[in-house]
Amino acid sequence: MLKSKHLSLGAALVLGVLATAAFAQEKPVAGEVKEGSLKGKTLTLVSYGGIYQDGQAAALKEFVEKSGATLLNDGPTEIAKLQAQVESGNVTWDVVDTDDLPPYVYCGKLFQKLDLTKLDISKIPEGQVGECSVPAMNYGVVLMYNTEKYKDNPPKSWADFFDTQKFPGVRGIDGSGSPTGGLLEQAFKLAGGDPKAMTVADIDKAIDVVRKLGPDTIFWKTGAESQQLAESGEADMLMMWTGRAMTAVKNGAKYAPAWQDWLVVMDQMTIPVGVKDTDASYALLNAYLGKKSQEILAEKTSYTPINNDAQPKVDASVAAFLTNTPDRQKQGYKQNFKFWVPNFAVAQEKWSALMAGN
Amino acid sequence: MEMKPLTRVLLGLVCLLVAIWLVAPTLVVVPMSFNANKSLAFPPQGFSWQWYQNFITSPDWSASFLNSLKVACVVAVLATVLGTLAAFGLDRMKARPANLLRMLMLTPMVVPGVVLAIGIYAVYLDTRLVGTLLGFVLAHTVLALPFVLIAVSASLEVFDRRLETAAASLGAGALTTFRTVTLPLILPGMLSGLLFAFATSFDEIVVSLFITNPYLKTLPVQIFASITRDADPTVAAVGTILLFATTILIGGGMLLLGRERKGRP
Amino acid sequence: MSALEPTSHPAATRPGWAWRPFALALPALVLLAAVIGYPLLTIVLRSLSEPQWGLQNYAWFFGAPVNLTVLQRTFTISAWVTLVCVIAAYPYAYLMTAVGPRVRLLMILCVLIPFWVSGVVRTLSWVILLQDSGVINSLLRSAGFGGVRLIRTQTGVVIGMAQVLLPFMILPLYSVMKGIDLRLMRAAQSLGARPSRAFFTVYLPLSLPGVYAGAIIVFILALGFYITPALLGGPRSTMLSTLVQTQVLSLLQWGRGGAMGVVLLAATFLLLALAAPVMRSKYREGGRR
Repeated sequence: MLKSKHLSLGAALVLGVLATAAFAQEKPVAGEVKEGSLKGKTLTLVSYGGIYQDGQAAALKEFVEKSGATLLNDGPTEIAKLQAQVESGNVTWDVVDTDDLPPYVYCGKLFQKLDLTKLDISKIPEGQVGECSVPAMNYGVVLMYNTEKYKDNPPKSWADFFDTQKFPGVRGIDGSGSPTGGLLEQAFKLAGGDPKAMTVADIDKAIDVVRKLGPDTIFWKTGAESQQLAESGEADMLMMWTGRAMTAVKNGAKYAPAWQDWLVVMDQMTIPVGVKDTDASYALLNAYLGKKSQEILAEKTSYTPINNDAQPKVDASVAAFLTNTPDRQKQGYKQNFKFWVPNFAVAQEKWSALMAGN
Repeated sequence: MEMKPLTRVLLGLVCLLVAIWLVAPTLVVVPMSFNANKSLAFPPQGFSWQWYQNFITSPDWSASFLNSLKVACVVAVLATVLGTLAAFGLDRMKARPANLLRMLMLTPMVVPGVVLAIGIYAVYLDTRLVGTLLGFVLAHTVLALPFVLIAVSASLEVFDRRLETAAASLGAGALTTFRTVTLPLILPGMLSGLLFAFATSFDEIVVSLFITNPYLKTLPVQIFASITRDADPTVAAVGTILLFATTILIGGGMLLLGRERKGRP
Repeated sequence: MSALEPTSHPAATRPGWAWRPFALALPALVLLAAVIGYPLLTIVLRSLSEPQWGLQNYAWFFGAPVNLTVLQRTFTISAWVTLVCVIAAYPYAYLMTAVGPRVRLLMILCVLIPFWVSGVVRTLSWVILLQDSGVINSLLRSAGFGGVRLIRTQTGVVIGMAQVLLPFMILPLYSVMKGIDLRLMRAAQSLGARPSRAFFTVYLPLSLPGVYAGAIIVFILALGFYITPALLGGPRSTMLSTLVQTQVLSLLQWGRGGAMGVVLLAATFLLLALAAPVMRSKYREGGRR
């Protein structure tokens, strides 16, 4: 009896949906997905692994259960890999998390221009929606130092990070792929330049400052590796993603952050050109932007949610690494976005030469 | 050989060190697999079974394990059939072409893994074989072929072909001769080839890293991804399981073999 | 063997049977051509044609100091690995020939078990061992020594690679040493040679074919190593394979990556060609025995 009631209700619902879809597109609501709408479909989320992707998977758990889709995880995000997929016409990545720049550099080429009628962007903080991307979360790249090594005289800024005379010790730098614009700008400042007026030739000057750190410098390839470096005490000063820094400290790493000029990063969520089922990708994105999803993500990772309504309940260890508090917001450093977007490829090549041990 | 006692002690000591160097590093995964923290830093903290649980319950891990098993089984059979046929062919050819072809067939062993991997990746991108079972099977079979060829060729070398002639002269057909005379004699060679082919495929990582995609990951790919992305002790649990499985298999096999040999006059 | 051939090959002499051996080998050859030959050809072509036809990728490779440094380093690391393997494997293989069957079985197990445990897992073990708070450094510190930086250094890469490649050295060495008649040594000693002299004038030359065979295999495999240096090494221990991977997967420079790959391939085959005469003479010796 109950069952048939459900069935007829379901049928009515389906009919209703069909009818509305036929006349006007239904307005999407962030965090909502229709029951069973993606049954039998498989979606691949590509991100950076570790606690971050674990958090994203947790945030999407309800979406997966409700929509009936199967969610696969892959990564880490590599633009060239995506390019190979797009060029060969065989795209297996359905939703891709990238760092700030790629969606702006490759908009329309690798990443679809987003149809904003299919997403509910009303709760996203102002100015964060791009032509080809919505934000994934906000976080920071922070200078972490070994408290046992530096004791009473800890480094306080990126200037100290690059000063191996005053602060001897092993440095760890993000070598996961793309150069971090903010770090290069800090380095360029130390070379006497003005990041606001950077030119292509200045990239070399900035990279030279990094190179001068010497042979002891470690370029970590993934967030997990940076965490490993902190937990094993191998690096004395580390450039880390705040979420990984939080996890390392939680796991017992004797490290503390120096917040001055922490580098503001906004990871982006994108849909590649040529995905098999665009609407399914949109459905995932829309669910991801929801209040509850963002709360779960923040609670697991310490990353700042990008839904204005989200109010994550975080414990003290996570709270210490939140970057959206008023204090932190004052200390943050934003990269010269206008410079890096057109010069992304050049910077990438120069940075890769450094990675290869030049 | 006569040796001074001192030399003998020294030799024994050096060999002990080498043996430790060979075996001990692999054992370090065992304590790591019981780590209570999600971390690969040494020493492990606390005790927990959670990573073994994770291996069994997490779809990423169990799927990749099953994929590896599937691919390796198909590869083992395919490579053994192709390799045995080829070994027979080469055995019955004139020496010069046989040597040339043999060298050609052994190339997969010496071509640097990454070079082969980018080549196969390029071709697979065009033919849409990336992340397919067929793609994995083809690539792994080629890599496993030399091992089968070597193993079967070795057993053919000691095989007295007059036995076949004798069987044929007694009226046995080609197939009967093969089944009753040839096959039993080269079976050990084929079996060790089969085992090597299975192991080659099950352990292959370099080419697999390039031709994998989210829909088809093999266990080594998953292990590699986990080491580099997640710092997840599940890899240590998997390593421990593999270590014990292979030890039991090889140790058991060698004991059986030893007993069998002793049994024979 | 060859003297027996006409009588022992009744099939081959029968008309219409000559093609059979080729037919048997054909499936394997076709697969080989499709999955090895064609891809390698593709790489060679791409190295010459992307972005346009010409030798620009090779000019770039030999013109950039980074590449030459890495090329040289690849050879240096491989040479070190080979040396370490020879030094470690020689006494081990020798002892295998000198002990009883039980101990020999144990020694073979010690070689084979790590050989069969997933290469990736073994590399992970090395990461755990070599890191600054790892097992080795903990031991060193508790013994009162200072810590040593091992991970992300060439030393670390050599230690890890040599362990992975050691079986390839021990097994051929053992198979050659097994065949050496120890009575020769005893004869030399009874003629008044001191053990060390008997070793250097009699045993060592007889075992050299095994050393050559093992060293060539180890060196060639080391040249193409990818996983171990990628996980254990840092920028200063990058090897050619990693550079190829970066060009193709991170920069999508198929031409440049291809050119590097071709250089690596050429180096490998050149070495093999150089080694072939040595190997052949070894087999001839084996045949005479």
